[in-house]
Amino acid sequence: MTDQHDDPKFEAWLSERAKSYHSPLPTPRDEMWARIAAERQRRAGRVIELRPWMRWGLAAAAVLALGIGIGRWTSHPIAPGSGGTPVASAGSTAPSSDSAQAQSDLVYQVAATQYLTHTEAFLTSFRADIGSHGSANSVRFARQARDLLSMTRLMLDSPAAQDRQLRALLEDLELVLVQISQLDSSHDGPNHDTDLITQGMNQSNVLPKLRSAIPAGPVPVRTEGAL
Amino acid sequence: MDESQLIARVRAGDSTAERALYNAHVDRVYRLAFRLAGDDALAQDFTQETFIRAFDRLDSFRGDAAFSTWLHTITTTVVLNGLRKVKRFRQREADIDDARDIGVMHRHAEPDLKVRLKKAIAELPEGYRTVFLMHDVEGFTHEEIGAALGVETGTSKAQLSRARAKLRVALADFAGEWTT
Repeated sequence: MTDQHDDPKFEAWLSERAKSYHSPLPTPRDEMWARIAAERQRRAGRVIELRPWMRWGLAAAAVLALGIGIGRWTSHPIAPGSGGTPVASAGSTAPSSDSAQAQSDLVYQVAATQYLTHTEAFLTSFRADIGSHGSANSVRFARQARDLLSMTRLMLDSPAAQDRQLRALLEDLELVLVQISQLDSSHDGPNHDTDLITQGMNQSNVLPKLRSAIPAGPVPVRTEGAL
Repeated sequence: MDESQLIARVRAGDSTAERALYNAHVDRVYRLAFRLAGDDALAQDFTQETFIRAFDRLDSFRGDAAFSTWLHTITTTVVLNGLRKVKRFRQREADIDDARDIGVMHRHAEPDLKVRLKKAIAELPEGYRTVFLMHDVEGFTHEEIGAALGVETGTSKAQLSRARAKLRVALADFAGEWTT
């Protein structure tokens, strides 16, 4: 475009001066590539943030599981003189009892799977990212750990924890989550506390145990048709 | 290997190809981000975000235009949105150049001119400033600028002309330098 302001001498002078007033440094290729790779990895394994609706969903699933469990226990008639051992009920009621049992098991399975999946994603992200993003990261991890800790304690108090292996895993997780929940904003990058937490996680093999406790397949597949 | 083959390999998950594609384009992306951001740390952040988005969205690159055009579209979007968000383009540190230029052997603008030029460029409307920096400083063509910013080539030319006119007024005290 040409207009009344065109002035080749001015344009040449301006271009030369503008190029020299603020020249970029040589491109830090390797540093940026390393950060790009790390950030892509982090985003790929990003913690599923426990948004309010997800917390409510998890809490509802846990309460439902507990409610059904309590209902199951209190609704079973105890025969007099049986010493607390349930007596086989009439044949016509057996199918409905089995059905309730199956439904209850599925609810536990859904709640436990969701809980274990979130916890595994959280701990994986914690181990990978705790050294980056400074104190904001610590605050975020501590907040998420507190949410998961509440769920862990609900799970420990539920009939699901009657399974010895699951109970042991929940107790390990409780310990790790308590430690993470106590990180505060003064933490800024890797330090002694986080080293201890990650060492503890490694020594107790909590992540491999957690992963092996999660049924294979993506979450929707694991819980498909359960409810 | 031509670029379309490289892109196909990246799509297939070849990390070596990713690095090769990055190496082929990172200098220009970084320089553009640096010129627009006026800050090395921000330029690095924007460059990283540009490549992260580009790799994530590579499936949406149809090949209608050059890959560099597509990449520069992402770059300008990331940079301009980032600058609006952090509003740092008004807070550039005056002494960055001095610290950086120690020991570098190239011609410098005079200190007073440097300050005035920086201020004059920073005070340009965003569209004018972006086109001026891309065209006169980084050497993009109007066609490339139009594609990257999503504007007509004529708009790019018009904005450049207006940017120069504004800078000419702002730098009138130095008229002796370009008229002699």
